[in-house]
Amino acid sequence: MRFLRFKRVILYILLIFFVIVTLLPLWAGIMTAFKTEADLIYTTPLQPPLSPTMEPLETTFLIMQRPLLNSLIFTLIATILSCFLGSIAGYTLTKIKFKGSNTVFLGLIIGIFIPYQAVLVPLVMTMVSWGLYNTVWGLILTHTAYGIPICTLLFRSFYVGIPDSLINAAKTDGAGTWIIYRRIILPLSLLPFVVASVFQFTSIWNDFLFGLVLSRGEEAMPASVALANLKGGFVAMWNLQMAGTLWYTLPALIVYLILGKYLIKGFMTGAVKG
Amino acid sequence: MKRKRISRKIFTIDRIIIQFIFLISVLLVGYFVYFGIGWNVVVSLSDWEGLIPSYNIVGFDHYINLFGDPVFLTSLMNNILLMLIFVPCTLFLGLFLAILLDQKVRKEAVFRTIYLLPFALSFVVTGFLWRWMYNPSMGVINTLLEITGLEFLKSGWITDPNIALFCVIISLVWQFAGYAMLIFLAGIRSIPESHVMAAEVDGASGFQLYKRVIIPQIKASTFTAFVVLMIFALKAFDFIYILTGGGPGYATEILPLTMYKETFAMTHFAYGSTIATVLFLLVMVIVVPYLYSTYRRK
Repeated sequence: MRFLRFKRVILYILLIFFVIVTLLPLWAGIMTAFKTEADLIYTTPLQPPLSPTMEPLETTFLIMQRPLLNSLIFTLIATILSCFLGSIAGYTLTKIKFKGSNTVFLGLIIGIFIPYQAVLVPLVMTMVSWGLYNTVWGLILTHTAYGIPICTLLFRSFYVGIPDSLINAAKTDGAGTWIIYRRIILPLSLLPFVVASVFQFTSIWNDFLFGLVLSRGEEAMPASVALANLKGGFVAMWNLQMAGTLWYTLPALIVYLILGKYLIKGFMTGAVKG
Repeated sequence: MKRKRISRKIFTIDRIIIQFIFLISVLLVGYFVYFGIGWNVVVSLSDWEGLIPSYNIVGFDHYINLFGDPVFLTSLMNNILLMLIFVPCTLFLGLFLAILLDQKVRKEAVFRTIYLLPFALSFVVTGFLWRWMYNPSMGVINTLLEITGLEFLKSGWITDPNIALFCVIISLVWQFAGYAMLIFLAGIRSIPESHVMAAEVDGASGFQLYKRVIIPQIKASTFTAFVVLMIFALKAFDFIYILTGGGPGYATEILPLTMYKETFAMTHFAYGSTIATVLFLLVMVIVVPYLYSTYRRK
């Protein structure tokens, strides 16, 4: 019995050790974001600030507010669009059987895995020639297009579970595919819509590469790119760098803490963007 | 015959709406993924250098040049090192965490949420956090070592070309271990209770239980996590761009970074596209067998 208890103690020590390791960089970042320049020198990175200040957060907010707004706009719109398109695609591929639907499905979901470097030059050329370079609309279109594959996969894996008999019964009553989608599929789709939109919100908000190559000025610059630019603007001013990081991560962090379990469902069904 | 006529009636505007919206998805993916990849290959065969597009096809010259380019070869080597070290370390740590959490832990959900937290953060965020961790003059790790009297372990970390890549790998393992844990935990939980109980009746317990019964049954989870991590090890960009920018020198440079620099910093569009095509092919070597084995049955 005593041996068993000893094992439990070791178990929890290990678990808590990994919690500390996981949270250490975040703790150091948050503490640093509230420090004055004097505190930066007089305290270690893990210590709380001696005289907490909001100044770094205020300074960086002035720089980050427009990019944060840009990110919020294109992330929300592209999330809605890609979820809607993914839902229709998932419905079509599971409930309206057509020849080659499996091939089309595989063809769509390969888009989840491709390294975006392989489409980067054509993407930039396309956006320039369509007049969408350095616009929020360009980022909306890009994130929607590259979000369709993962959304299709998420919705399809859910719609497979809706029995065909439900659809067939409605068909006999004379309902067409749009009516079936609206009256039967959509009301059952709350869960996949939450999963897909949490997943999409997180990955579009966290994106850096597309923002980096498709934006130039503040009209369209995402928060991720604005944050990366802080690196050069505030060399060695770690309180400002960490304050900027805090601003950028806040929305994604809030979504994770509130809706994390849906994000987890997304991770388990689909793959991961990177 | 009759049935056919009825179903044909359903071919009304109602059906066209769905098909039309589906077509938008297919066209968008068709253009931005497939046409994009094709276009990229065409650029890689051209002589396009500089800001003005040029599509004079010169053939496979750039592909041959790759073999004589030390930067390309260094990047490829770093990608391979990333796959060889980052992937097994993450899998091992993820499995370890999953087994720990499988011990009927109190507040399991809290632990799970915390372990997975780094994975939900942007690479730009984790990149910034780890730049602060590794900063040689006043960063977290060196300060910690000073406080604990382990000063002899202080190091330049990401500024030391000999260990920079390992520093990158450690922080990536930190970010991905929670993901691997999640996949393994789901695998362990999907094993029928009766299998585990039967093994326990046979006297298997603790380490033996995992080695003999549980680990052999989570092959599918291992495969999924393995594939996802391998693909990431090839196409990681954001994190390394922020943390080291590929430096010092080319110590942490990998193919996606080389591609970006060649294309957008040096405007060697054709050569950048060549690297991108190679990267694409490497990823497909992993993805195609994975998709084949996953979806073949359906």
